[in-house]
Amino acid sequence: VPVLAKDIAEPFPTVTLDTNAYEAAKLLAGRRLPGLIVIDAEQHPVAILPGSQVLNFAIPRYVQDDPRLAQVYDERAADELCAKLETRTVREVLPAKELRELEVVDGRATVMEVAAVMARQHSPVIAVIEKERVIGAITVSHLLNHILPQR
Amino acid sequence: MTAALAVVVFITAYLLIATERVHRVTAALGGAAIVAAFGVVGAHEAFFSPDTGIDWNVIFLLFGTMVMVGVIKQTGLFEYLAILAAKQARARPYRIMLLLCILTAGASTVLPNVTIVLLVAPVTLLVCDRIGVAPVPFLIAEALAANIGGTATLIGDPPNLIIGSRGDLSFTDFLFNLAPLVAVLTIAFLVMCRWIFRADLVYDPSRVDAVMALEEREAIRDAALLVRCLVLLALVTLGFVFSKPLGTEPSIVALVGAWLMVLASGLQPKDFLDEVEWETLVFFMGLFVIVGALVESGVIDRLSETVIDAIDGRYFLAASGLLWGSALLSAVVDNIPYVATMAPLVANLAHAAPDPQTGNALWWSLALGADLGGNATAIGAGANIVVIGIAARNGYRIGFWQFTRYGVVVAFVTVAISWPYIWLRYFALA
Repeated sequence: VPVLAKDIAEPFPTVTLDTNAYEAAKLLAGRRLPGLIVIDAEQHPVAILPGSQVLNFAIPRYVQDDPRLAQVYDERAADELCAKLETRTVREVLPAKELRELEVVDGRATVMEVAAVMARQHSPVIAVIEKERVIGAITVSHLLNHILPQR
Repeated sequence: MTAALAVVVFITAYLLIATERVHRVTAALGGAAIVAAFGVVGAHEAFFSPDTGIDWNVIFLLFGTMVMVGVIKQTGLFEYLAILAAKQARARPYRIMLLLCILTAGASTVLPNVTIVLLVAPVTLLVCDRIGVAPVPFLIAEALAANIGGTATLIGDPPNLIIGSRGDLSFTDFLFNLAPLVAVLTIAFLVMCRWIFRADLVYDPSRVDAVMALEEREAIRDAALLVRCLVLLALVTLGFVFSKPLGTEPSIVALVGAWLMVLASGLQPKDFLDEVEWETLVFFMGLFVIVGALVESGVIDRLSETVIDAIDGRYFLAASGLLWGSALLSAVVDNIPYVATMAPLVANLAHAAPDPQTGNALWWSLALGADLGGNATAIGAGANIVVIGIAARNGYRIGFWQFTRYGVVVAFVTVAISWPYIWLRYFALA
């Protein structure tokens, strides 16, 4: 009997596009999640917010491009950079492309189908849906547990 | 027939470059391929002739300086200097703008100005964030300063490379003839900054601590590499200055300098070759072949005869026309293809001049017009385009007119100051 996406999907916290970005980041940090599923008012998944995107938003592009600039900041300045999340929503943190191109998997998808979608999306987590509702999510680590050969 | 084809290809390539219908490299390469394929220029004329072919001195001078910048970039020198400047200015916006512009203009005399703005712009964004002001005026000011500073030397601004090579003008010739004027222009520009950017330079005393907390020394990871690079840069600059007495070309100095810096840094080929702007080099090559076709087919000679007849010995008029005309044209088209086209024409005019001093005055007028005119609009010079790109990448949009309303003032004032300089130095007091 093939293992299906719905069999390995786990309950996963969701946020909306209007959730405060700082709250979303706290949720990621507090529960050590690789990303969050973003849903709209009808509970439909609209995007994945990976932890790396939160960092990408908080850390200025010029610092990402020139790592030497990261070294000149003191701790307080680093705190100030992250503090700008407090005045932003998840919608503002997500690039427009993320909102256009979300791929989800159906509960009946096999683990290989799930793996293929995650590999294509470079996403650390993927939403599993049934009847257009999110029934859970699969993380990369959880998926690898199922597809790695047991030795 | 060949002349007509050369003109058609030239005009088409220019239109495509100016309108950005196709990438400028594709346009230049396409034009070169067509004139070569139809026999307007042969392999010898395109690749080996000093008059009609690719100017390898320019290509290797650019290549060498790009590699050197790639190595110097690893040292964190510009990050260090820019943050030090912000701390010295104690977060006062105008003082910071002043120091960053002096840094940019000064560095643009010993390394290509386009690469200097690439190094200074990111740290400018950081400093502006710390002092709580919009970075756009600072970035625009740096592009303008880079174009003014780059005017002073053979290697500062890409058009000067072409002028130096085609006009047989050395690094020292540029230094003696243009550097004194550029010093005056820089001072005038810094005074202008206070006026044109006055609305944006608001001092917030509460931000002083945020600037003073920056650790500029942390930007320098390898102090020994920095010292080696600075010593080599000083030697390379001396090499440029003495290249003529030593009987060598600046391109050879740049090549040796690049090799020594690579040795000193221990960087792998991939690392330093990544810093080379291959697009710019290929663009230059394509342009040289397109313009070479105009020379080879006799178009430039016929045009020169017409212009020489029209000048009728009035060389100050010719210099004035070159200065103001170049400024105007460089404002609307990239000054690199403009100078590549004008160089053979000016070479003929200079050759027909009554004495070398008068002939050289035409070259300096072309350099000043093209370099300073490049400041007028957002697309006039490479440094402007680079700064606008960095700003956009960081979420700050600099519109064409936003740049132009500052640039046109600076270009006009600096060209207006240059005009009496040309008259006094090369005609009235000659």
